[in-house]
Amino acid sequence: MKTISMRKLIAAVGAAALLSTAAVAIAPSAYAAAPTCTKASDGIETCTGTLSNGAGYLIKVPAKFGGTFFYWNHGIRFTYPLPGVITVPKGVEELTPSNVPEAAMLRAGYGLATYDGVSTGGLRGWNTADRVEMLKELIDTVKAKYTVRKGVVYGSSQAGSIITPFVEKYPTYADSVGIMAGVTPSIGQSLQALCDAFYILSVFADPTIKGCAAMGTKGLAGHYAAAAEFGKVVALLTAWGGNLGAPGLEYPAALKGSGIPQRSALLLTGLLIGLPAKSAHMDGITTSPVIAEQSINATVAILENFGEAIATGTFGGQAVSELTGPGFYDNTKTNWFSLLDPADSGRYNLGLSGDGAIAAMLGVLSLAPRVTGDPAAVAKLKALDKSKFDTTKPVVLLSNEADRLVFAGNSALYVDKARAIYDVKLAKYEAARDSAKTSEERAAAAKLKPFFNVASIYAMTPETYTVYTAQGLPNLSGAPSPSGVGHQNFTLKQMMAWVKILAHAADTGKVGSPGYLQQYIKKAPGLNSDLDYRPADLKYIW
Amino acid sequence: MNIRASLSRKKLIGLTAVLIAGSMTLAEIPANAADPGVSATEIVLGMQLPETGAASPGYNKVDDAMRAYFDYVNSKGGIGGKKIRLEVKDDTYKAGLTISTASSLINKEKVFAFIGSIGTQTHISVIKDINRRKIPDVFVNSGFSDFYNPATYPTTFAALGTYVTEAKIMGKYLKEKYPDKKIGILYQSDDFGRNALEGFAKAGLTFEAKKTSADFIAGTQGSVGLASQLTQLKANGVEIVIIAAVSSATAVTLLTASALGYKPDKWAVISVGSDATTFQTIAGSKGIPASMSAAMLTGLISASHAPAPGDSADEYVTAFKKINDDFNKGADKRWDNNVMQGMNIGYMATGALKGTLNPNSTFSAKNNKTCQANAKKATLTRVCFIDYIETNGSKIESAAFTALQYSATTHEAFSGFWIGAYDAATVLQPVSGTRVVYTTDSGNGPVTVSNYKRPAIAADALPKN
Repeated sequence: MKTISMRKLIAAVGAAALLSTAAVAIAPSAYAAAPTCTKASDGIETCTGTLSNGAGYLIKVPAKFGGTFFYWNHGIRFTYPLPGVITVPKGVEELTPSNVPEAAMLRAGYGLATYDGVSTGGLRGWNTADRVEMLKELIDTVKAKYTVRKGVVYGSSQAGSIITPFVEKYPTYADSVGIMAGVTPSIGQSLQALCDAFYILSVFADPTIKGCAAMGTKGLAGHYAAAAEFGKVVALLTAWGGNLGAPGLEYPAALKGSGIPQRSALLLTGLLIGLPAKSAHMDGITTSPVIAEQSINATVAILENFGEAIATGTFGGQAVSELTGPGFYDNTKTNWFSLLDPADSGRYNLGLSGDGAIAAMLGVLSLAPRVTGDPAAVAKLKALDKSKFDTTKPVVLLSNEADRLVFAGNSALYVDKARAIYDVKLAKYEAARDSAKTSEERAAAAKLKPFFNVASIYAMTPETYTVYTAQGLPNLSGAPSPSGVGHQNFTLKQMMAWVKILAHAADTGKVGSPGYLQQYIKKAPGLNSDLDYRPADLKYIW
Repeated sequence: MNIRASLSRKKLIGLTAVLIAGSMTLAEIPANAADPGVSATEIVLGMQLPETGAASPGYNKVDDAMRAYFDYVNSKGGIGGKKIRLEVKDDTYKAGLTISTASSLINKEKVFAFIGSIGTQTHISVIKDINRRKIPDVFVNSGFSDFYNPATYPTTFAALGTYVTEAKIMGKYLKEKYPDKKIGILYQSDDFGRNALEGFAKAGLTFEAKKTSADFIAGTQGSVGLASQLTQLKANGVEIVIIAAVSSATAVTLLTASALGYKPDKWAVISVGSDATTFQTIAGSKGIPASMSAAMLTGLISASHAPAPGDSADEYVTAFKKINDDFNKGADKRWDNNVMQGMNIGYMATGALKGTLNPNSTFSAKNNKTCQANAKKATLTRVCFIDYIETNGSKIESAAFTALQYSATTHEAFSGFWIGAYDAATVLQPVSGTRVVYTTDSGNGPVTVSNYKRPAIAADALPKN
């Protein structure tokens, strides 16, 4: 999901009545067009063409091509427009992550290729199944023209849901796999939490919010219905941003007059859904005369993160709902108390207004009417992806510690799933090894020995970085944290470290030893040299 | 860039060594391989506490006392020839810094174990990760009972009795001593306060919300103050006020009550909130002379699991005080409860390390063979260190009046407390003239008089594990 200006999104709410209902016509192509290539004076050959479904692709190859190709997969894009706010992209937008490392990768001798996953062909939005096939066709196209020694399949965000099933379906098409800020690959777990956010706000702040329960209508009508829900949240955040959430809760009736400030409900909502308590400008630690305590800093971080997180929930959720149908969200069995990590209730106790307020807020959530989904749609959400996580290809994940769109816990979940497969293989190997009596049996057992071929790298924020004005207000318009925040937002050095690790992994078939990885990590400020680091888990795991 | 071509031969050899080492999985690491933080000459331990900031007074002396005891041990040759080095990080009692400083202790300082970390709200932010990494997290300075369930946190061990245990013992005493008095409570509405309430309830002492029970959000005692809570207790005729809060809140409470003219018959304070020097330091910062703050403390009831620092007749106090005089290089080495606690943790840690490296020690059946073999080779591992503490809790010596109760089912520390009252010299004295140690558990077990006989401290003040 590309970054959306909050101001523009707020403007979108006002413009909603003017929205056109015209559908975008898509005319799929029957044949792939042959690439058209030109060579620039710097020796870089650029090729363009279209896949069989009419989607464009872009290839660039440097004069000193070393034989390794990187195949880039971008994340989700908007399916429908909002006049003046959202333009549905057309054509290839980026050849490499945010186009940041393109020049450096070409200088390093890598061939680059990507395809336009949104403009045409198949279902847009959460069109992972189509894009698996589009990626295969792209690689076939590249291989038909160039001699490719090694191939790296990599991508960002939604692409986690594309390249994981891709490499399992077409294992010979990738020598290494890179997932940047990616979902695990199912977005289902993340969506459940983001839908919770809507629901919790409907209890505490605006009973008219329907959130994910309003999603599921296909086409523009559904898109606008989802946008309207998003607009309600934006209105809330705007108000809370103006008064710092100071007024006491008005909803539900049980909490009116309790003295629990709205900001405590906001903080609780963020913590319950697993939203990072650090943001672009708020470090979750430092204080000032206005930001009196660390948990207040974290509350402002939640406020700063909330808009784009809920935008993901809105437009990602609406896109997914076109696959599942309405009613994919169900919270009838949600235990709100268990969603609050004891560490969070302790650490942010003051911001949450103490144990009494925490119990009161969770108590009314537990008693509030629940959202009952459609079992069939819920089942589809949980079955969005059928990946086995059993690829033997090296996989290197890269995440920001405080990614507000795709939480870093996604990477941890990927590692866990891959580790579970590895553990099964390890047990089989150990059983065979221990029962082997002959040299032949021992040799056969040795062949079963697995290798854990996943590495997860995280970009971290500095310890503290909030800048305060002379009055003690946090400066939310200044330079953000230089590392660890944002979505698909990494420095060139961080991206190139990841790229080099992926290239090496493609060559060797292994992610590299910790010592080897450190060679590159240490050259990229902000990357965590602690390879055993684990971010907070996602709130839902299945 | 071609990595191989860009590396010199020397670097390549080094890199190869790293690669070989790095490619080993955990299962392949020899059982007798030493863990991080241990070398032939040194054991590195890590600690987190508020060295600075509002929560630091008093607590910021514990690390200096621990280091003083370790320096004393080092002056006697260390443990198995290894010197103990204590690396300390200041988290200013902000959990965000607790997380980053824990990472630094793990990844940069390469500590063998965390020891003596201070603060419930801060430690709760890192305890899960420390345990996930299987790093020993020993002698934690928090009485929060949830930390010490080995099923949840297998590497974490307490340095205090739990708040539940202490509240049960204090509650029983107050209920029996003052049957006709109206007893109320002021508590911080977090894990600490909730744990204490649970203990008092188990002792049959319950309170009425908004009448005899007043709470506040931890951290607001300095900014918002506690006047409304004390006004409520006063208005409801509370004659004995229990305080279940940190020392800074106790100070604000007593000072505010004085300003309000509220003079309950007794104040009774859970021990972590009643340290005299901490109270007097905070009072001093508000312009209250020492003589006046001492007078405010006089008669205040509290509890302790160990001898009062002013108990000059106690052999542990005498021994630790001398070590403090000789080895403490801290900015404030004045002998008090914080220093005593730091010394005792140093003493317990030394015993646990010695025991782990003693070939005659017994470990759990699962690890006994490996750990005894390690001990013979003077190889210190995290697994064996944890195993030793868990298996030999009652053998780890300490100044406390009950034994450490570590086992496979609990990592709670001390089960016993004695009840005292501060005298005019700010020394906690037994309420009945003679110290009676009561013991119980964090569950529903009864409160009984302890018959534990504390082992004598050796002449050299070194544990004999």
